[in-house]
Amino acid sequence: MKIIVDAMSGDNAPFEIVKGAVMAVTDSGADIILVGKGEEILRCIEKLGMKNIPKGIEIAHTSEIITMEDDPSAVIKEKKDSSMTVALNMLSDGRGEALVSAGNTGALLTGSTLIVKRIRGIRRAALSPVLPEDFGNSIIIDVGANTECTSEYLVQFAYMGASYARNVLDKGNPKIALLNIGTEETKGQPLHRETFKLLKEASSGGMFDFIGNMEGRDILYNKADVIVCDGFSGNILLKTIEGTALYMAEELKGIFTKNIWSKLAAGIVKKDILKLKKRLDYTEVGGSVLIGISKPVIKAHGSSDANAIKNAIGQAIKIARSRFVEEIVESIDNIKAMVENSEKNS
Amino acid sequence: MVFERLKKLLAEQFVIDEDTITMETSFQEDLGADSLDIVELAMAVEEEFDIPELNEEDLPSLVTVGDLTRYISNIID
Repeated sequence: MKIIVDAMSGDNAPFEIVKGAVMAVTDSGADIILVGKGEEILRCIEKLGMKNIPKGIEIAHTSEIITMEDDPSAVIKEKKDSSMTVALNMLSDGRGEALVSAGNTGALLTGSTLIVKRIRGIRRAALSPVLPEDFGNSIIIDVGANTECTSEYLVQFAYMGASYARNVLDKGNPKIALLNIGTEETKGQPLHRETFKLLKEASSGGMFDFIGNMEGRDILYNKADVIVCDGFSGNILLKTIEGTALYMAEELKGIFTKNIWSKLAAGIVKKDILKLKKRLDYTEVGGSVLIGISKPVIKAHGSSDANAIKNAIGQAIKIARSRFVEEIVESIDNIKAMVENSEKNS
Repeated sequence: MVFERLKKLLAEQFVIDEDTITMETSFQEDLGADSLDIVELAMAVEEEFDIPELNEEDLPSLVTVGDLTRYISNIID
């Protein structure tokens, strides 16, 4: 198993990326190709106290970097020797089984679509993060790759999300929910009402269990394995969750450090709070998967540290070993037929 | 001939039935193409018709399948 890692992308690149890759090699035994500026990667390895390139690590030298400010098209136009572009080309050429990058999301999506290509028959790739363990490791599909969607895209997201939940997250018959402003079938914009009908119809085909609409406030209660939404709503949902969690953490910190009594109380519950923090930690679950691309591409958080990169690599290994992509490829004609049938019957 | 080959390419990319594509089919209005689709299509056309690189400035004027068919024919002829 060989995982390609874009070593130059992300806020903490290259050091934390290289460190995470070294940790992953030790942990998983997988081979890793670090793609990026060779000298800088070697300096990171030296900084980690190693005299030689560790066993299982290979370096592919590139001269350029896609920055967070770069236009997504830079990945195929101006910066063809960037770590991201070269890594994508390597994945496309079969030099590794999966790719991890913490870089510019737009560029990674554009490059994955144009270089690695979508699965034949899939209209749009979607960005899908996995929620931390406490929230049942549910996935949200899509959180920003497609700000405008049709009901056909959303039904395809549901199928792909179900396949991911089944093959990678080991959930037998995944429960699918549609993000909406109310649980009733009649709620939402025409897109939501139409998608509801199609999902209900498709659910009877047995590929997943559609449990209906879900409001934003229920997302964290582990009621569904896959939450389907357009990228615009999904992005707002995800960032609202992140922002609320940060706000609550700061408020709690303020309460627990207010006076001697609250500090004493904090001491009593410290262990439980630390456990909770770990259970809610996004770095523990890896990154967001670009679902719909013909080979596994993982977008790690831009501010990933070594632990997050190590876990994203672990996630990439799990996806590459699973039948996730193959299952979508094999069932694409069935999916197409079912979407068409659903449209006819609804 | 160009139109037939282009139809196959479009049917695959946009996951639609070949028979629904006509010279009047609009990329944006009928196929829902966005900017990424157009770049993807341009790359597929370059590969299929062995054209070195489509002129980016010409792309916005290619609104329908007919426009693109004529554009490709002019280049390969």
